[in-house]
Amino acid sequence: MRRIQTTKLVLFVLMLVAAVVFAFYFPRLTLPFGFAYIIYLMSRPFTLRLTTGSRKQRLVYFAFMTIALILLFLPLFATFYNIDTDFMKLSAQLPEAQRMMQEKFMELNEKFHGRFGFHLKIDPVRYVMNKIRFQGDLLLSRFPDYLTALFEWMLLVPLFLYFFFMESKNFGVRFLRAIPNSIFEKTYVLFTQFNIKFGEYIVAKFIEATILGTLVTIGMLAVGFPYPFILGFIAGTTNILPYIGPVIGFVPALLVAILSKDPNVTVWEIVVIFGVANLIDMILIFPLLVSRIVNLHPIVVVMSIVVGSQLGGIVWMIFIIPFVAFFKLLFKEVYKDLSVHL
Amino acid sequence: MSYENEMRDRIGRGENTGERLDIPLLRYMWDSSPLSFLKKESYHDFFKKISVLNSFTDNEIRLFTGFLHRREFMANEMIFKQGDSGYGFYFIFSGSVNIFSSPAPSEELGDFVIKLEKHQYFGEMGLLEEFNRRSATVTAAENTVLLGIFKPDLDRMLQVYPVLGAKFLRETALIMANRMGQITREIVALKKRIKELEQRV
Repeated sequence: MRRIQTTKLVLFVLMLVAAVVFAFYFPRLTLPFGFAYIIYLMSRPFTLRLTTGSRKQRLVYFAFMTIALILLFLPLFATFYNIDTDFMKLSAQLPEAQRMMQEKFMELNEKFHGRFGFHLKIDPVRYVMNKIRFQGDLLLSRFPDYLTALFEWMLLVPLFLYFFFMESKNFGVRFLRAIPNSIFEKTYVLFTQFNIKFGEYIVAKFIEATILGTLVTIGMLAVGFPYPFILGFIAGTTNILPYIGPVIGFVPALLVAILSKDPNVTVWEIVVIFGVANLIDMILIFPLLVSRIVNLHPIVVVMSIVVGSQLGGIVWMIFIIPFVAFFKLLFKEVYKDLSVHL
Repeated sequence: MSYENEMRDRIGRGENTGERLDIPLLRYMWDSSPLSFLKKESYHDFFKKISVLNSFTDNEIRLFTGFLHRREFMANEMIFKQGDSGYGFYFIFSGSVNIFSSPAPSEELGDFVIKLEKHQYFGEMGLLEEFNRRSATVTAAENTVLLGIFKPDLDRMLQVYPVLGAKFLRETALIMANRMGQITREIVALKKRIKELEQRV
């Protein structure tokens, strides 16, 4: 009896390990799969309400798929469509930007000399410009690969999304049947909690980013700051990363303020706009939307983001938080059980 | 007008009925029909025989079965242990289970409490309490099939079918009330017995 139970448990663990290995070695398949799963989790509370007792399930799913795909792929497609012209424009503006940055740096260096009595013998502007040119060339040379990947995702994401909408129940039942009896209750409850938390976290961050981006855009429009929409969009998107995101989102706006020739555009304006927007986020939006979902210590959050960036770049920086919240839950459960049985 | 007559009339008038054939529903109705030649008991027949769920309509039983998990246990396999975190409530669909009052059960040491048979249920506290610890150990007395409902299923039921969820919660509360009544009666009987023994001594 015990041998059969152990064999079932070992087989189940092996199945999970195989799934993780597969996911790691075939990212071209697992990334769109994971992406479709995230959209599915995000839309689940709405689709569940709309399809309960309704015979128009397929219509609701189709409507959600269309909305999700338009929202996701249209901006990407527009970016890809205009990338060569934008790149040309940017390349034409680069020497001018370099000259302005050089002037600002020289001014700063002179101030430094006045204060400390020697010049800084570094050339950060040339270093940054070389980096930008190198990355730009790399981006252009890899452009066909990115385009292929985009088309691949356009095909795979709807396919997987349709699978999740139509087949997730049957698939879920089969997966649950494979779980050995000895760990079924706990695994099922933790798996469900993770799915709910993950979906809620993504939706909450999405709403938080939209509100913050809108606040920044409105503030910039009010004071007549240049590029309000693109800078608001960057501020909102980077805000998805907790603690580090707001700082990253502030940098492009700060650069625009420093490099602008317009005397009405000042650094103080942008500091106040970002300060107020982030204060509203910290006092109102974050506690109401996000903190109740992932109850983690700020130090744990920052450490998780650093680990996430090492694991898999920007994507893992965003998604590692709900995973850490899940592991916290898992350890708490295991600890509770150990404290009872030991 | 019955559903069948309404459909017949609409088809006769050449109108679009607007309904698709729901195969799982038809299969469920076929399996649960009293005229069905299937020998095996359907979930519908099973729940019809459980007294505490007799306020459920046929359709509510059909919806309710959609939230259940079928778990198969071999003879002597542990279902849960005393002290484990509890999340689920089980109905015995076939077979039987033994309940023990110790985490490492032994019949010789007198840990055996009761044997539960088909159509009986256990573990309802796990569904209602927020941090439940199992108060007894349960093992399968023979090859057993259980139908379990767990906390996430109850949450989903309350969200999707609130009336059904409330009805099920009411029935679960009734089960707990019955158990409490039973325990009270046993305590009274035990106290009486202790008094008798004291008087005799």
